[in-house]
Amino acid sequence: MLRSAARAVLVIASTAASISAQTPADGLMMPKRTMMAGVVYARDSWREYWEGTLKRTNGNVGRVTTQSVTFAAGYAITDRIAVMAAMPYVSTHASQGVLSDMSGIQDLSVSAKYKFASVATESHGAFNAFVVGAAAIPMSDYTPDFLPLSIGTGGSRAAGRLILNYQTASSWFATASAAYTFCNNVRLNRNSYYTDGQLYLTNEVSMPNVFESSISAGYKRGRIHIPVSLTQQRTMGGGDIRRQDMPFVSNRMNFTRVDGSVAYALPGNLSVRFGAGHVLSGRNVGQSTTFTSGLFHAHRL
Amino acid sequence: MRIVFNRIAAASCAALIVATGCDKSVSPVEVLPPLEPSSLEPTAGSWSMILLTGPNQFTVAAPSSTTSPEYLAELEAIRTSQANLTSAQMRSIEYWSGGGVMRWNQILRELVARYNLPPAPRDEGGYPVPDADNPFGDPAFPFANPVYAARAYSYVSAAQYDALKSAWYWKYRYNRLSPAKNGTGIHAVMPISDLPSYPSEDAVISGVTVEMLKSLFPAALEEITLKAAEQRNAALWSGKATASDLAAGLALGKSVAATFLARAGTDGMRNAAGTTAQWQAMAAAVTARGEIAWTSRDIPARPPMLPLFGQVRAWMMTPANIVTERPGPPPSTSSQQMKDELGEVKRTVDNLSSSQLAIAQKWNDGAGTYSPPGHWNDVALEYVRDAKMSEVRAARVFALLNMAMDDAGVGCWEAKFYYYNPRPSQMDPSIKTKIGIPNFPAYPSGHSTFSAAAASVLSYLFPSGAGSFSLMRDEAGISRLYGGIHYRSDIDAGKAHGNRIATYTLNFAKNDGAP
Repeated sequence: MLRSAARAVLVIASTAASISAQTPADGLMMPKRTMMAGVVYARDSWREYWEGTLKRTNGNVGRVTTQSVTFAAGYAITDRIAVMAAMPYVSTHASQGVLSDMSGIQDLSVSAKYKFASVATESHGAFNAFVVGAAAIPMSDYTPDFLPLSIGTGGSRAAGRLILNYQTASSWFATASAAYTFCNNVRLNRNSYYTDGQLYLTNEVSMPNVFESSISAGYKRGRIHIPVSLTQQRTMGGGDIRRQDMPFVSNRMNFTRVDGSVAYALPGNLSVRFGAGHVLSGRNVGQSTTFTSGLFHAHRL
Repeated sequence: MRIVFNRIAAASCAALIVATGCDKSVSPVEVLPPLEPSSLEPTAGSWSMILLTGPNQFTVAAPSSTTSPEYLAELEAIRTSQANLTSAQMRSIEYWSGGGVMRWNQILRELVARYNLPPAPRDEGGYPVPDADNPFGDPAFPFANPVYAARAYSYVSAAQYDALKSAWYWKYRYNRLSPAKNGTGIHAVMPISDLPSYPSEDAVISGVTVEMLKSLFPAALEEITLKAAEQRNAALWSGKATASDLAAGLALGKSVAATFLARAGTDGMRNAAGTTAQWQAMAAAVTARGEIAWTSRDIPARPPMLPLFGQVRAWMMTPANIVTERPGPPPSTSSQQMKDELGEVKRTVDNLSSSQLAIAQKWNDGAGTYSPPGHWNDVALEYVRDAKMSEVRAARVFALLNMAMDDAGVGCWEAKFYYYNPRPSQMDPSIKTKIGIPNFPAYPSGHSTFSAAAASVLSYLFPSGAGSFSLMRDEAGISRLYGGIHYRSDIDAGKAHGNRIATYTLNFAKNDGAP
């Protein structure tokens, strides 16, 4: 669930760019002095979720839908270094029950990507390696204390990512990536909360860090780019949602999800991208299905 | 734009800080410095009792003299313990030196928060009922909802208070000083006062509390028992009490608990859940008066929360008092006033500012929390701590506060189920709430009733905090309008009701002999 909003943003981060661009998580790099800007619409929804490890539905929320529109931009300073930024507007809705929708500008993320190794051969394709540094910070005072309808987790984060990419001579590619996210503590509007078997008499919540790994493979030739990926998120701490409790911001939110997308470059420096993803298994998250569509514009300065 | 840059700068700093490994751990409980009471309260043995017939209802036998071989052997045992204190034992001593009444209040709030979750619906529909004979099941027992919690806080606090007054009576009758003051070679690991140590106040508190909690939170038996034993050991290790001080205190505490548990067994709580026929009759009575009756907003619809809690015996009020003090009726569900108030709720939630949302969340104290009475215990504890109150004086504060809030719970529930008034979201389904919606009728607001009663009692006990308590009471009340779950009438009536209910406790407090 529960961080469906926050997770939607993760997904967006990896869809918020296209073939002529790149994302903080893929194995691509724009040519130098390329400027990219785009907008991505995402719709994520779930009816079943994991209360700890117990899969269930909940009549008091029904189906929870998170929609977002993300504005993204990037610029390749050189052929090896690019900077990117993304900021979503997120809205949530529960199909049943009395709980209010939430909406607002969520977190601004900025990242810098550096291609530190690149080996190309005539017959055996090319190997590329990247590191990415990223930071995110809430851009509005939305509440993280209304999950599953909060639009995010309300805390600043910093992440480091390593990406290894292999591109065959015949247009196929494979990418492996791992990221570790440091999450700053968040503050609630209340002076006590109970989580992970303990009452805390403070408004400060210790947020567990997050490890994410993914493998992807696909086809990229000319105007077409078709990746499919498997992503696993492991939260390094936090408690489970208690029986019939609301989710809590520092819950141990784990999931394994599969994603696929198709990107196509249109004439005039435009490109479009359509993607879909689905959570296969999880803990303290909704079993969500996500659809995204994005439009991007890129040009050399 | 400047804000954006500042935030990016802040994020970069944050990134640096976390990357260099700053400590993210959060301290879970309020810090309690070692208790050094400002007064020993030598007259506390004569203060009015709640349930006991007098301070000597349970006899504590005279202790052996400080020159007897038994006592000297006890001192020797302490000397041996103190020679080999481990760091774990030192942590226990430090923890309990903060004050037994306050520590148990923290533990009790934790238990309430742990058990304050409604049963999950069955797959086939409907809800299981928590079962005291199967406390470890799903659902767990109890569902420590606000009124269950109000009653639990009151029983534990009132029993501690009577037990400590009785302990004080015997302490000053026998006047045996603590081993650190009495024996040679025994040091006070933590500050130890000149309060006579027979019977030990720590053992009295542990004995009375553990018996009350075993009944109220049976599934937590093991940890409660361990905590209680730790408290007694800490008193021994620190040079505060001997084995016989502890044994006498433990026995006294348990005897007093038995008196309170006997009352608890017959106070009407076992029938508070009512039967379907009973609460349907309550709804029918309202419909017969031409009003719209409350229905559950939970999906699937859930039976109302303890609809007969209004019949449970209060502390300072008779059943007749409860009816006499009941607020007048809410605006008719067909009246213009109801329409206007409904419009106010709708406008408020649709245009809620972030500061209003913060207030709604601050006072929500809903499922999974220590409940509104727990919030007021949280507020009170800091005043008790800062006033450096002796254990018996601290127990008085929590007893008076929690008895008043329990009476508020009984009175409020009696009124709620008499009027059976619908929530705003029932009258206008387009009203969505910013906090969870409680599963019982709206009028009058429980938060307002609890908070007004609590603020009245605390203002009497801590006059310097009166202004602050009033602000908190008003904020707690209006928070329910901001949350979209109460009309203004509910809040106003609840506040006035809570004030009236508190006068019963205040009348007791003003004449209880405590200076």
